[in-house]
Amino acid sequence: MGLIYIVVVALLAFSIISAPMAAEASEDEKKDSDIITRDFSFRVGEGVRIGDYRVELTNVVSVMDGLVEVKVWKRASQFEDWRVMESRRDVNLDGGQDRGGLTLMVTEIFDRDTVRMRATYRSDYGYPEKYITERALVPASIPKLEVSTSADNPAVRSGDEVKVTIIVRNVGNDTARDVALQDMPPLPQFRYVAGYPPKIRNQLQQGESDTAIYSMVAVTEGEVTIPAMSARYADSKGTIYTESSSSVKVEIKPKRRPDIVMEVQPPAPIDHGGRGIINVSIRNEGDGSAYRVEVRGQLRSDGDGLRLEAGALDRSFFEIPPGGRESYSAAVIGARSGSYVLDLKASYQGDGEAMQKETAFEVAVLERKFEYLYYLPIVPVVIIGIWLYRRYREYKY
Amino acid sequence: MLNVLMLGIGQCGNRILDAVNRESFGGSSKLSKYYSRQKFPSRVETLAINTAVNDLKELQFTAAKDRFHVPNLHGVGANRSLGKQGFWDNREMIMEEIEKRGDFDIAFVMTSASGGTGSSFTPLIIHELKKRYNKITVVAVVVLPFREEGSIYLQNAAFSMRDIMEVDCDGIILVDNQYLKRLSGDIKTAYDRINDMVAERILFLIESLDSEMLSVTDLGDFKTVMRGGLRMGTLGFYESDKKTGSLTSAIDGSIKPGGLLYPADVYEDAARAMIIIQGSREYLDVDEITKAVEKLSTKIGQVFKGIVIKKGRPKVLSVFTLAQVPDLELLYAQAAQAIQDEKGRKTRAKKQLDDAFAYIEDLEEVY
Repeated sequence: MGLIYIVVVALLAFSIISAPMAAEASEDEKKDSDIITRDFSFRVGEGVRIGDYRVELTNVVSVMDGLVEVKVWKRASQFEDWRVMESRRDVNLDGGQDRGGLTLMVTEIFDRDTVRMRATYRSDYGYPEKYITERALVPASIPKLEVSTSADNPAVRSGDEVKVTIIVRNVGNDTARDVALQDMPPLPQFRYVAGYPPKIRNQLQQGESDTAIYSMVAVTEGEVTIPAMSARYADSKGTIYTESSSSVKVEIKPKRRPDIVMEVQPPAPIDHGGRGIINVSIRNEGDGSAYRVEVRGQLRSDGDGLRLEAGALDRSFFEIPPGGRESYSAAVIGARSGSYVLDLKASYQGDGEAMQKETAFEVAVLERKFEYLYYLPIVPVVIIGIWLYRRYREYKY
Repeated sequence: MLNVLMLGIGQCGNRILDAVNRESFGGSSKLSKYYSRQKFPSRVETLAINTAVNDLKELQFTAAKDRFHVPNLHGVGANRSLGKQGFWDNREMIMEEIEKRGDFDIAFVMTSASGGTGSSFTPLIIHELKKRYNKITVVAVVVLPFREEGSIYLQNAAFSMRDIMEVDCDGIILVDNQYLKRLSGDIKTAYDRINDMVAERILFLIESLDSEMLSVTDLGDFKTVMRGGLRMGTLGFYESDKKTGSLTSAIDGSIKPGGLLYPADVYEDAARAMIIIQGSREYLDVDEITKAVEKLSTKIGQVFKGIVIKKGRPKVLSVFTLAQVPDLELLYAQAAQAIQDEKGRKTRAKKQLDDAFAYIEDLEEVY
């Protein structure tokens, strides 16, 4: 008991000695940590605990105007305040910092969902702690549009038609109002045929979608980016939203064109007075049909050294499809030795455009062969022999 | 244009015809027939007729189609009787061979008077020609034999000449081998020369009769000449050269004995004559020719003259018939003597044979 007494006395004595020192220290701390300032960021639907105060961001009213709506209330009290705060302006709540309340200031509005705020308050309220508000836990009734843009053929040829489909779907949980696709200037790479500019319904219910289709014809070549299509809409509160689709790339290849290739197989050198065959092959190596193909052959040289039957090289074909081939032959007669050039001209149409191809080839006529020339000296001998024999027979009795 | 038939009958006639054909080739070369053609002045058809095929084979310039062998005969051995029989047996065949050559204005029948075939065929062929061709002039070119050739030849010549005259031949051109053999030393060369001379003159005559003349003579004149006198005549020829002084001397040269085919004195013996002068115009003086012919006419009587303009020195052909043929009688006398001699030889031979056979008369062979 004595010991307990001693210990109590001792503790009492120590406390008497050390009490003024502790009071002096607590007073200093109260002076230094009485008011503190803390910055924090939070989103719509989130709240921050500062002591018993609760600061909840209910709405970003206007990013441009720097207005946000907050709800501040105090646990176990009647204090509750809804405020629309202006950016960069202090708002004293529940008496402000000097009276044990809060002083808040919106320092930055990041977007329609997130803001940064500065709170000044008594330090004993501790650090701000975030939490999810009950309002946030309940889904917000806002429309949400998804915009998609697609082309029916990402690789077309110049002159081909491209259909662009824009689908706007409301994936939100509220009706999208005043839905409008933003005007987009026409692309010079296309000639717009129908459905442009695209229009969709003015209002889209939850889960509803609308489609706008426009068609256009590629007129140039190259890779073209059809820009993203933006849809502007508003919710029931008149809040304006904008959603965009991704852009679409369309490759425009060159136009389909026929490409006529003429292959001529001239005859081997023709003997003097002999006959040769010219084989002509007309091939379409292009990717478009050649129409009204007219082939005309003409002997470039004058004279009658090479006789070509009139019109023998001339042919007409209504259509030669891509990869198609037409062949024919013509006969020539070499009347005199020499080298003769023949022109072959093909005119045709492809995709409304008149085209022409030419080629030339050479036909050689050999010199007259005198293979039996060595018989020539024999001829007079034979003639003389025959003559003499006839005379001999005439006078032989 | 004259249509001329030239027949060579028998060996001699064949050779003269061959010479004519050779002359028509324009050269004397043996090979001329191989490189040249016959060029006759008129349409001339030649035909060699013989009973001896070997004689026909010897011909060089006569075409085979112009040689006719009388079938089944191998010569007649100078026997005119056999020859005549051979002709009669093949008359149609022979005349058909002639007739298929067409129509003719004049025919020269060349033959030897002494051979077998020629002497026997010639009068008969002339007779047939006269009978079958209307108005044809037939002239016989008759070659008389060497007098010493033999008695048969002489008698053949005598009878043949008579027969020819009897068948109304328009004239006989005599060629006397006896007279002409002086031309060469050997007989063969003499024969060839004689044949050439006859050929040259006959062709000259044909050419002249068928040419446009400065002074005209024609076939009618020739026929008149040939039918004058004894209807026997001959041909004279002269070709002037630089040494020849004048046309008169050329004309004289053609009627001198040296230029004749039969020995005659034209001035004394000729009955009618035809003088044909051929040459370049500068050589032909018509007055001189006329005077020369007139001089001849005073001696002979009728002389036809023809002047043919042809490039070259003057050539003169004289054709004449004789009013008298002194050597003809001598020929016939020799022939008669030869016949008598032949007859005597035959009689003696027969008598010798009969005498020989008399030894075995009334005897039989014993074996």
